[in-house]
Amino acid sequence: MSEYKYIGKPVKRHDGVEKVTGQASYTGDLKMSGMLYAKMKTSEYAHAKILKVDTSEAEKLPGVRAVIDGRHGFAKLGIYMQDRSVIAMDKVRYHGEVVAAVAADDLETAERAIELIKVEYEPLPIIQDVREAVKPDAPLIHPDLGSYSHTVGVFFPKAGTNVANHMKLRRGNVEEGFAKSDVILENTFTQSQIFHIPLETHVTIVQWGAGDNIKIWCSGQSPFSVRDLFSIAFGVPRNNIEVNILYVGGGFGAKAGIHLEPLVGLLSKAAGGRPVKLVPTREEECSTLPCRQGLFARIKTGCSAEGRILAEEVELLWDAGAYADYGVNIGRASATSGCGPYEIENIKIDSLTVYTNHVFGTAYRGFGHPEVFFAVERQRDLMAAKLGMDPTEFRLKNLLYPGSRTVTGELITENTGRPDKCLKRVAEMIGLHNHYTDAEKAEMKRTGKYRGKAAAVLQKAPAMPTWAASSALVQMNEDGTVRISVSGVDYGQGTYTVLQQIAAERLNLPIEKISINKSVSTPISPYDWQTVASRMTVICGMAVADACDDLKEQILEMAAVVLRASKHEIAFGEGDVYVMQNPQYRVGFNKIAIGYVYENGNAVGGPLIGRGKAIAQGLTNLDPETGQGKAALDWTYGAHAAEIEVDTETGDIEVLQFASCIDVGQVMNEELMRGQIVGGVLQGLGCAKSEYVSHDASGRLLTRNFTDYKIPTFKDMPKKMMVDAVETPQLDGPYGARGCGEHPLISVTSVMANALANAVGVQFFDLPLSADRVYRRIQAGNSGPKLS
Amino acid sequence: MPAFLQPSSLSEAWSALKENEDVRFLAGGTDLIVLMRQGAVKCGAVMDVKKIPELSVFGFKDGALEIGGAVTCAQILEAHETEGPYGILKQAAVTLANSLLRNRATLAGNLCNASPGGDMIPASLVLGASVVAASPRGEREIPLKDFFLGVKKHVLARDEIVLRVVFPKIQGGGVYLKKRRIRGHDLAQVGVAGFYDGGLRFALGAVGPTPVLVDFGRIPEAELLERKAEIVETVAAEAKPITDIRASKEYRLAMTRLFAGRILDALSSCSRPLAVEEAAQ
Amino acid sequence: MNRQRIRLKVNGQAYDTLCSENATLLTLLREDLGLTGTKEGCGAGECGACTVILNGRPVNSCMVLALECQDSEVRTIEGETVNGGLSDLQKAFIEHNALQCGFCTPGMIMSARALLDKNPSPTREDICEALEGNLCRCTGYEPIIAAVLSAAGGEVNE
Repeated sequence: MSEYKYIGKPVKRHDGVEKVTGQASYTGDLKMSGMLYAKMKTSEYAHAKILKVDTSEAEKLPGVRAVIDGRHGFAKLGIYMQDRSVIAMDKVRYHGEVVAAVAADDLETAERAIELIKVEYEPLPIIQDVREAVKPDAPLIHPDLGSYSHTVGVFFPKAGTNVANHMKLRRGNVEEGFAKSDVILENTFTQSQIFHIPLETHVTIVQWGAGDNIKIWCSGQSPFSVRDLFSIAFGVPRNNIEVNILYVGGGFGAKAGIHLEPLVGLLSKAAGGRPVKLVPTREEECSTLPCRQGLFARIKTGCSAEGRILAEEVELLWDAGAYADYGVNIGRASATSGCGPYEIENIKIDSLTVYTNHVFGTAYRGFGHPEVFFAVERQRDLMAAKLGMDPTEFRLKNLLYPGSRTVTGELITENTGRPDKCLKRVAEMIGLHNHYTDAEKAEMKRTGKYRGKAAAVLQKAPAMPTWAASSALVQMNEDGTVRISVSGVDYGQGTYTVLQQIAAERLNLPIEKISINKSVSTPISPYDWQTVASRMTVICGMAVADACDDLKEQILEMAAVVLRASKHEIAFGEGDVYVMQNPQYRVGFNKIAIGYVYENGNAVGGPLIGRGKAIAQGLTNLDPETGQGKAALDWTYGAHAAEIEVDTETGDIEVLQFASCIDVGQVMNEELMRGQIVGGVLQGLGCAKSEYVSHDASGRLLTRNFTDYKIPTFKDMPKKMMVDAVETPQLDGPYGARGCGEHPLISVTSVMANALANAVGVQFFDLPLSADRVYRRIQAGNSGPKLS
Repeated sequence: MPAFLQPSSLSEAWSALKENEDVRFLAGGTDLIVLMRQGAVKCGAVMDVKKIPELSVFGFKDGALEIGGAVTCAQILEAHETEGPYGILKQAAVTLANSLLRNRATLAGNLCNASPGGDMIPASLVLGASVVAASPRGEREIPLKDFFLGVKKHVLARDEIVLRVVFPKIQGGGVYLKKRRIRGHDLAQVGVAGFYDGGLRFALGAVGPTPVLVDFGRIPEAELLERKAEIVETVAAEAKPITDIRASKEYRLAMTRLFAGRILDALSSCSRPLAVEEAAQ
Repeated sequence: MNRQRIRLKVNGQAYDTLCSENATLLTLLREDLGLTGTKEGCGAGECGACTVILNGRPVNSCMVLALECQDSEVRTIEGETVNGGLSDLQKAFIEHNALQCGFCTPGMIMSARALLDKNPSPTREDICEALEGNLCRCTGYEPIIAAVLSAAGGEVNE
């Protein structure tokens, strides 16, 4: 397909051997001499004043080395919004929030000490519904919101309310657009919070040694962010903080930013600098560590009779839970996709990140887009039905094409990517437009198992600060092989393998001659902002390419000396360089890797180190009133389609076939891409069918573990899964590539609910599509409250 | 910190009971270890009963099937003894948790956990099972229908060990159907067992504080389908489900009805029990 | 803390050590014997990350007390490698990209190994039944099925 030697070729993942042998080391596998074991005391209330924390009995227990509570853990944490202290101080804001912690010689002692800590609470009124939380008389979850530090000019907290951020987006005149519309449709959609469920919890080890020398080992996605935020929280210079990331057992956004590192650090400090290890249980992972936000969305759409969308008004109320650090940016970023990949002249979007007394939210694969696209892509099918149009035709009529402008006013070019092509492709893959025969329909009637098909589009750009950067080092070993160092983390998505391919291509070296760091350590690894936002292949990839170019330049400089030729007269072989005109004059990389030695012993040069960097190009802060500006480094578009079968007697949904097609620009490694897509789609099907976070009336978490938070198993896969890609090159991406780590999860829920509607005529405006709910809705003969 | 006891005979068990306070019995451990980890069970000692020979019996005695207290669900799935009329035990066992846990979880443990949704309970009830328990005071046999007192409560005293579960000699066939939230490992939203041997019995799980047995007495085979509506309604009337995190009351009731009907169809249309795969849904 | 003597074989090696009375087999393996290839994902028998083969049967090692394993034979992921070389199953996992973060992989391979020991040519359905208790959040399972089928020498349909 391409002229490349390594790009797009079937290169096996770099970490396979260590992972299939059990030799891959995860943070939880580490043990250090003098290490203590930590345990957390968490709140039994969703919202309560802390009257008293009595740790005296716990402190007396033999083997207990440190006990801390809010008096020690007052430092504020946050990447965008510093709204959370390390340990709850005056009050708790969710069931599961940390109120105290213990470090002891062993875990059993720590557990017993926790039981001895007595906390007195005075319950406060709780808020669980974002619509209640935004009412003027709602109790305030953060009365001091106005005084919180936050990224000024990007986020807009509303003091005296529960609104942590209000993102506004305005284009054209939405009132005029509705006035011109022939058909107007308004719907609301609700989705609960969702858990990430990395199989490895947020395991953390910290040693806060004398002189504030701090060493951190954590199961994290973003070593430099941990360092940065730790430094800001405690006023310790970055040079004093070492963050180490080994293999990571899944992230999905849950491990972006900073989590338990400050808490464990304070325990270590209180224990005189001994290393302290905290392994959250599955229950703690669910109830104490953050989740994906919930969403209430209202969409009003106006269309011409011919099916052109003339105006759209979108209101997003995000259930951020008790803290909204990442939540404010999810509210912001998802609004820039708030109408989907459609060209609409008149737009009004209000995205409010709202505090409630739920577990707090954070980044989750898709960064708000799976939630928004459930609403947007449901709305498209509902509107098409109202117009009497085929939903695919309706989408194709309104999608972004070269020359269109996005909701933030960004111009779409020939190289932006093509949602239309993806949509047409998935429609073809599942036979979306092949109507069921009469015989098939009769069979459905006979068995009570009705089939339905649907498709939906998706989009996402990396959501990150305008200055998010990566860097890379490419160093040559004595034998002419090469080692890459980056600080992006490969927690299985395959980033490092793709980076190896980029280096192999750039340096014309066999892939076996290129190794990459297996772990990241901030004192020695080059800076990277974070491993999030599907930005690794693109930005870190460009940094590696840049570093390879730098290394090549140095190779040329050395070769020019050794071969006594000008640089422009030298060409690259495979592992060596030679004089173009006279190829018999050549020198191997191994001869110049660490310096060239002449016969008499004289040496020149020195170890070859290529350094590279990349930063998002041309992003702007968005206008605070209109949201206009350049929000996206690159848009990855895609589409899904599914055919399902609904058992009307039980409400069970079986996915007969699922097709996914993403415009990745350039397929870097088909097997790894397929891995991302198949895995992401199943995660999305979990959100569609069985996953939801539930609290009781007093705000206590009910879905605390795998007993009641059901993720898909081997028996819950689609019967048939098809993957394809469109390749519209991204000119500033490495070899034309775009990211696709998050995208498979977006619009899975919408496809499922649309297909359900097509199968049995039941319109769902909320999730999950559990058998129980589907059955009851079919029984109620409900064809949708809002669909007239 | 509970002590660990592992008697290799009943007499060792009785002396260990004397020497230790607050002893909990451990068979497969798939419930007890979870509860201990959660801190929901605190005890002085854990007694692993699996080395007591009497608990490993698995076979027929005087025509009745005896399954020892240490026999796992996996063994039930692999055994020839649990075929024919007792095949319903396989149908139930294959729905219990997942294949890893079935290698540990025991039939007796599932009964003693006394969860309203215990998968082995409805099937055992329709087979007319009874529980043989021993204590330092001697042995007694308790009909399973009289075994359950409430959610997670049964009639055994703290020092009574389940030696075996006894299934009387029986003809006929049965079906167990279970509804769960996903196709993979999950607790029952509803579990319904039905058995026909000239007499018709149904048993229901997860639709009340205790499993329920509905005994219709003798019904001629020809009448099974004729009286379907009435039978299904009678079964459903015994279901007293609640709404919780796993299912709504309405859904539980509807699935009870649906499954009762499906089971009746299966029982009347053929005297063979449904294949395990058919029933596994 | 009360400790009792425990003797067992792990991957053919004899161990004779002391362990806490309520330690699980998982804790014994990871903390006392230093065999950290076996992972803990939930501690409640619902994720399978801790799967080992105990006396020939795959079990959740978090659901077994260490002292129950007196005189037992245990196989863990560390025993899957033969003379430092990868087993067919391990090779197939790499070949089919049947892993991402890798945290479920040791348990997954042990469940698959136990299946293949019992049933050398499993169907897709057999694999799903045997591996249902092993959760994976990354791969979507499809490549794992392909890997097990291919290790068994069976047909791999995409």
